[in-house]
Amino acid sequence: MLLLMDPRSFYGISFHEWAGLIIGLPFILHKLLNWNWIKKVSLGFFRKCSGRARFNYVLDVLLLAGITLMILSGIAIARTIDFSWLNLGGSRMFWRVMHTSSSFITLALFGIHLGLHWNWVLQRLNLKKTNNGEKN
Amino acid sequence: MVRKISFAILSVAILVTGVIALRKLNYWESSVWIFKLNSGQLTEGRTGHDQGDGRGHSGFRDQRRLERAEGIEGRQRPGERFEGSPMRDFPDSIRERFAGRGPGIRDRNFPDSLRQEFPQEFSERSGRIPPDEGFRQRGGRGRGEFRGGKKINLGNVLWYLAVFASFTVAAIYADKWLRLIRKSKKTELCQ
Repeated sequence: MLLLMDPRSFYGISFHEWAGLIIGLPFILHKLLNWNWIKKVSLGFFRKCSGRARFNYVLDVLLLAGITLMILSGIAIARTIDFSWLNLGGSRMFWRVMHTSSSFITLALFGIHLGLHWNWVLQRLNLKKTNNGEKN
Repeated sequence: MVRKISFAILSVAILVTGVIALRKLNYWESSVWIFKLNSGQLTEGRTGHDQGDGRGHSGFRDQRRLERAEGIEGRQRPGERFEGSPMRDFPDSIRERFAGRGPGIRDRNFPDSLRQEFPQEFSERSGRIPPDEGFRQRGGRGRGEFRGGKKINLGNVLWYLAVFASFTVAAIYADKWLRLIRKSKKTELCQ
């Protein structure tokens, strides 16, 4: 994702646009894989959840909004893929600023998301033992 | 213990690099730029999908502001001389000297801190970035289009990576700190 952030960095704007669209797929897959958690926290957000789960939930909602806006604004300002038939409206400048702002904010949110799930990542990579003292 | 200390040093280094990257990329300004747009800018100059025509866009000045907000001040634009990432890190005076133009009369008396404060004014004054009308008329890319090509330039990516890593490290330590507080509170209650 980081490599795709700057179209000047990695094979130009065409690659940036196609890869930006494609990267939406693993994101949807990630949401589907964690669907049970989403359902559980959504149902018990105001009652049973811990503060940490609530914070993670809000962060995830913001991430979802950020990625949606990023893809939408990317579609609106696309140059190599023709999305004119979608007729999204708004000025080109608005969509460009939206694309920049949403991508910058989403990058920061992704960093925080990864930081909060760091232990899980280490356990998955077998670099840290689980709470039971066994390797995951 | 040695491992912990080395991790701590690494974390501090990541955080410091992240702060530098935040400033270099104008990260904060770019993030909140959408909230600063006025209603006129939301509707003006809509052309839909364009392939380099660029007519109907807002002015060149707005475009420069937008590019500044995107943190790409000083990068290559259509018709501009290419400067690799190491060159971009030098102050303008040195870059001009390399380009064989010498220091501009207007530019040379200003410190770099002022340039960072008002990058738009300085870049417009120095006239390094010509309007891209001619380029577009020659059938080139439109405003905001990038050359791309077959070359990978990871210089920019590293700054983004630094920001990302610094947010991750900050979150890890904030999480640890909160857990410690919660743990200590629990033990206090138990005692």
